[in-house]
Amino acid sequence: MTRKSPAGSAPRTGRPGALWAVPGLVYFAVFAALPMALVAYLSLTEWGGLGAPRFVGLDNWARLFDDPLMGKAVWLSLLLTAASWAVQTPIALLLGVWAAGRQRTRAVLSAIFFLPLLLSSAAVAIIWRALLDPNFGPAAWLGPALGLGSLDLLGGSGSAFWVIVFVSAWQFIPLHMLLYQGGARQIPESLYQAARIDGAGRLSMFWHITLPQLRHTITTSSVLMVVGALTYFDTVLILTGGGPGTDTSIVPFLMYRVGFKSWELGYASAIAFTLVLAATVVALLMVRFTGFGSMRSTREGM
Amino acid sequence: MTTPRVSAAAVAALALLGTTACGGGGGAGSDEMHVWMYQDTLVVVQEGAVERFNADSDAEAVIDEVPGDSYVERLRTAMGSSKKPDVFFNWGGGSIEPYVEQGMLEPLDDMLAENPEFAGSFIPSVLESGKIDGVQYGIPLRGTQPVILFYNEAVFEEAGAEPPETWDDILDLVDTFNEEGVTPFALAGADPWTEQMWLQYLVDRIGGPEVFERIVGGDSEGWRDPAVLEAAEMVAELVDRGAFGDAYASVSYTEGGASTLLSEGRAAMHLMGSWEYSTHLDQAEDFAKEDLGYTAFPPIDGGEGDPANVVGNPTNFFSVTSDSPHLDSALEFLTYTSQEEYVADMVANGEVPTTTGAEELLADSPSPDFATFQYEMVRDAPHFQLSWDQALPPDVATPMVTEIESLFNGQSTPEQFVDALAAL
Amino acid sequence: MTTVRRVRPVREKPNVLGGLGAFLWLLVVAVPLYTLLIATVQRSENYTAEGPLALPSEPTLRNYVAAIDNGLLVFVGNTALVTLAVAVLVMVLSATTAFAVVRSRSRWTQNVFRVFLLGLAIPSQAVIIPVYLIIVNLGLYDSLTAIVLPTAAFALPVCVLILVGTMRDISEELYEAMALDGAGVARTFTQLVLPMSRSGLSTVGVYAALQAWNGFLFPLILTQSADKRVITMGLFEFQGEYRVDVPGLLTAVVLSTVPLFVVYLLARRSLVNGLMGVGGK
Repeated sequence: MTRKSPAGSAPRTGRPGALWAVPGLVYFAVFAALPMALVAYLSLTEWGGLGAPRFVGLDNWARLFDDPLMGKAVWLSLLLTAASWAVQTPIALLLGVWAAGRQRTRAVLSAIFFLPLLLSSAAVAIIWRALLDPNFGPAAWLGPALGLGSLDLLGGSGSAFWVIVFVSAWQFIPLHMLLYQGGARQIPESLYQAARIDGAGRLSMFWHITLPQLRHTITTSSVLMVVGALTYFDTVLILTGGGPGTDTSIVPFLMYRVGFKSWELGYASAIAFTLVLAATVVALLMVRFTGFGSMRSTREGM
Repeated sequence: MTTPRVSAAAVAALALLGTTACGGGGGAGSDEMHVWMYQDTLVVVQEGAVERFNADSDAEAVIDEVPGDSYVERLRTAMGSSKKPDVFFNWGGGSIEPYVEQGMLEPLDDMLAENPEFAGSFIPSVLESGKIDGVQYGIPLRGTQPVILFYNEAVFEEAGAEPPETWDDILDLVDTFNEEGVTPFALAGADPWTEQMWLQYLVDRIGGPEVFERIVGGDSEGWRDPAVLEAAEMVAELVDRGAFGDAYASVSYTEGGASTLLSEGRAAMHLMGSWEYSTHLDQAEDFAKEDLGYTAFPPIDGGEGDPANVVGNPTNFFSVTSDSPHLDSALEFLTYTSQEEYVADMVANGEVPTTTGAEELLADSPSPDFATFQYEMVRDAPHFQLSWDQALPPDVATPMVTEIESLFNGQSTPEQFVDALAAL
Repeated sequence: MTTVRRVRPVREKPNVLGGLGAFLWLLVVAVPLYTLLIATVQRSENYTAEGPLALPSEPTLRNYVAAIDNGLLVFVGNTALVTLAVAVLVMVLSATTAFAVVRSRSRWTQNVFRVFLLGLAIPSQAVIIPVYLIIVNLGLYDSLTAIVLPTAAFALPVCVLILVGTMRDISEELYEAMALDGAGVARTFTQLVLPMSRSGLSTVGVYAALQAWNGFLFPLILTQSADKRVITMGLFEFQGEYRVDVPGLLTAVVLSTVPLFVVYLLARRSLVNGLMGVGGK
């Protein structure tokens, strides 16, 4: 029936025509897909934001492969993603499983744990910047109190990176905790009852029942973390400004600096396009390994 | 959510979208003439000018105060759009060159020729620095801003120290104050343009202004001048000696951290632009009036540069966008910057105007001594070097300040520093 | 779920290790928040002197008054407009799109779905340069609309995905019943699909709203004037304006959180469930 009028509707069965997808698709095309295509084009131009972009072929790309800052930024981004995953996953998983219990204290604590999620990334970064200020913040008081002298965590090469890992963990663990809490609550109680009859301890139940049952949640949460780590830009900009030096200049930050500080928007587009590529690969892997796009009802997997 | 509520919300949102779109459109295309200012404590002077202008004229001028941290990028994104400012604050030189190249700025030569009295009211050399390739694009709007070595007199007294007159004095003072448990120099390491001031003075004192002239002319090999390496080595020595303490890398100037260290006596000295005085007057008035000392950057033995040379901003400029719908009003507004009230306001806020005859007004300054010191310093300087990051185009200036930051953080050696700059 | 409540607490020994871990995390979360809150009632001149943990000796509310005087309410208002517009725009577009993807027989809609899936992970930073170009050419630079349009577009893929998941759970029998009633597509959509997708829609609403609420880069590049500032921009700019008045700055941060905190208090369950839904479906 629909074959005859693919764009029309078929009132008898209440099935929508493809027209229903048009507004969403057009909107997405103009404000998301078109920009992605434009990034690719702009990466072949020289453009300072004024006047028209000038086509320069592959110059920007040749420069990109030789740019030590780009190499460093890619490395820092990968490291940040891996470190964030390694820090956030265990903490969020354990807290989430713990919070899945129905006791009153757990409910109260969960409500408190949730609070950082109410803050925007900008707010979180500003708070931590104030707390870690080496001269005027609690860190100025804490350093001498611990006998460490001045505590300039944001000014140290290594420490600034770990501050970003910590601050984003502080901000995002509540979200992932919620995911695990939701996941853990869906594990059938009968599994635990059976294990208890077999005399299994808490640890062994966690290892043999909870973890395997949470595997879908782990995947989802991990994917969100990986995607999220690509966007820690605001945190970096406010907390460290990419510094000290370039020691926290991850790829999005480098793109911002080259684009909107140096005004080499063509070259910045080449950097941005690598982000698009990376994100597309992540999306493909995600669809492939999580079954996000499959036709089955999603509730079945939980 | 039930269906009627969904659709009601949808209608509401679409209505909102409509209104926000209109609101957005009305902002800049309207009758107001937008004057962009870098946000700081001195904007009161321009606010006064706008008030007087609005009283005299049919046009309605408004000041848009743009936060300093993002002034340059906000200006450029707006200049790329249809919502350009009509008149805007800038540093002259490389900071407006891209706009001049695109023909976006109004040449002011005719306007100056028509108003000889106005043109004659500025110190000629200062007015001259508002030119790009011989064409006038900027009118001085602020006082002159040499970089000065500020110090806390109370802290010096307590340590029994004297302000430095030679480079060796500086090194001795570093040791003295470190023993006293006071940071010798406040430094806002998160804003590397403050670190740049050190290098600028050192390079100028060691090699003279010619070193940077070569670089700004587009020859990046100019960074390989021995003066640059020597200056970088001196910076490294200062850092190693603890001249800036051990917690400066994340200190911000725009957030006020470095200035407060000086006014609270936690740091003894601070190399900063002359606006530092107004900042203290606003934030720590008692300190500004009682204990704020100042002196010139000391000479360096064997250096080729004249010790009377200064670095900083000769002044700031107003430029006018040529497609402004308020072009005539904008040009009219510029003439307000030489009016008596305007100049008096500048002096009252601790600035040293760049208009001729300002000398007589300096007695009205909140600190006549400081104003006179500054005035004479600039008057007697054979060369006044504009801040490097403003003199160079942004695609060189941005990586340059990052390299300066790395040098001060000890992340790169003086040799690596020179190599990195030469590669820009 | 009721069975869980009955069985678990009775049988299990208290989980000491878990409790201890949770307590440690409580410290990590609560100590900074406590420091934040007491700083807001601290006089700025006492802030460094009294230490971050002591209760202020002279508590004051003047920081709050000052923050409001500094235009914080304008920023909150702008953010509310942007957030609402983004949430509704996304809910409408993702619902219609998901409906087509799930129910349309056209092969074309499956390709549409694939396009959205590929957009899942694209960070907004990656396209800020062309988005600036597009917004400037539309003459929308420095308007709230400039923030709404791309923000909503980048929230769409995840939201379409979530709603496709929800709508697939609506059983075929219900559609058939609607068809027997003689309902057309539009009626099926409004009277069956939307009501049955309530949980998904609230997830989508929460997700889109949070994207708008948190938005930083789009407002940073696409707006500049003070009366177009959203909260994140306002806070970012305050950082320079407040200079070393840390209590003042932190008060602005706390105040900026109030609207979302109120939502949290009033609709905690749907907010939490909504967020759980982001990953769960």
